[in-house]
Amino acid sequence: MTEISLGTLILFSEEDGKDMKKTPLNDRHKKLGAKMVDYAGWEMPVQYEGIVPETAAVRKKCGIFDVSHMGEILVTGDQAGSFLDWLLTRRVTGKAPDQITYAIMCYNDGGVVDDLLVYPADGCYLLVVNAANKDKDLLHLADSLNLFRAENNLSADAVMIEDHSDRYAQIAIQGPESKNYMQTVSEILQSDAETAEAISGLKRFRCLLPDRGQHEPDTIISRTGYTGEDGFEIYGQNTVIWELWDALVSAGCAPCGLGARDALRFEACLPLYGHEMSETINPLDAGLDFFVNFDREFQGDKMQKTRKLVRLINPGKQIPRDGYPVFQADLEVGYITSGGFSPTLGRGIANALVIDNLVLGPELIVEIRGKQVPFKVVDKFLSE
Amino acid sequence: MTKVEKDLYYTEDHEWVRVEDNTAVVGITDFAQEQLGDIVYAEAEDIDTEVEAGDVIGSVESVKMASDVYAPAAGKIIARNEQLEEESELINEDPYGSWFVKIELNDPAELEQLMDAKAYQALVEESD
Repeated sequence: MTEISLGTLILFSEEDGKDMKKTPLNDRHKKLGAKMVDYAGWEMPVQYEGIVPETAAVRKKCGIFDVSHMGEILVTGDQAGSFLDWLLTRRVTGKAPDQITYAIMCYNDGGVVDDLLVYPADGCYLLVVNAANKDKDLLHLADSLNLFRAENNLSADAVMIEDHSDRYAQIAIQGPESKNYMQTVSEILQSDAETAEAISGLKRFRCLLPDRGQHEPDTIISRTGYTGEDGFEIYGQNTVIWELWDALVSAGCAPCGLGARDALRFEACLPLYGHEMSETINPLDAGLDFFVNFDREFQGDKMQKTRKLVRLINPGKQIPRDGYPVFQADLEVGYITSGGFSPTLGRGIANALVIDNLVLGPELIVEIRGKQVPFKVVDKFLSE
Repeated sequence: MTKVEKDLYYTEDHEWVRVEDNTAVVGITDFAQEQLGDIVYAEAEDIDTEVEAGDVIGSVESVKMASDVYAPAAGKIIARNEQLEEESELINEDPYGSWFVKIELNDPAELEQLMDAKAYQALVEESD
């Protein structure tokens, strides 16, 4: 019995963990009995109790994720904002001082280098990037910066880029009950009453830097996540993250692994790099038009839409997987970018990338191991 | 604790084989279902299919993974477990009771090349 398709995670890793990077919470995962896998060179928990109950915990109550593998890149200097405005698909300047920006970093042709969150931090910017892409991102940032400096006759210190990933561990607290756990967070962070209120009162895509005023924040709390549920993400030094993890798990947050994280983001129609977007799938193909501002010049502004993403649900029981071909009648019209089992719906669901001018009916056909299986075309997987 | 049942043959791909006269009953082991996690779909190959050792005789899928199930020896499929398609979670609950197919063997002696319970136990302990 050999795996033929693994969705988005590599299970059955033969690695013994020796050469993999470990997050500060590694020992805790093992004590909790997590199944550990190699993910982008990191030894990460894919599940504890199981992907199905962990997904349910986040949809109904609250779960906690170790996402310390994410990369953090600090961009500083007088021209940091103008550099990022020129580089990314959305402006990062001219926003509220606590506003986080989701943006995409593209090559000239619109192919995607990575998607990222940009946190403002007192004139500098912290880019939170995918672990698997961090090295590539740093190279692309350095190349782009050389170009930007030359075009604008800038001095070397006008924009500076540093990899600060080792400075931050990160946890995500996700689910409709996540706000109830912010009291525990405030206690661990020894926040005063005003800060505690600000933490639980954070608005979507806003962040709080309790030690604001420093050049680079030690701790960042934001109302963000990758599950489609309400939630918070906390970046901090190892010691703080240890305390937070222990306290939140004792308080009832369910530890959740990367398996549930992927199922949750997929059910919520959130894109994943390497699947819905890539060096050959641009943001318009991926239906991410909202996150691309064409009212100015930026890297990738010549991109053209040639394909579109559609969402499919199998009324039957088979599970669609990445790469399976998609047909309309006898014509092959595209393929599956993310496919898998939705724990919340109890059905096989898929994102399919199809030709842009395809006229959609109620159904498309997915070929599963040589069999033609009709799938329903839907706007989204979960109803509100 | 991973269960390995006595008196079965085992493959390196984590299938178990029970011999009933000239017929091999095939399923996946406790170790396999543990590795897969929550199984959400399973199907078995059609009756009357002629198979060689190593041919695909079924597939099993968990939330994150699809795996093929292979024939342990050559023969003809004479029965398939249709219940698995509707109730695939039975494989998690009772892997040694959840067979995929029954194969009428061309040569029952071919099974002698497979592992016995003791050898398979050693393989599982090594992998765990």
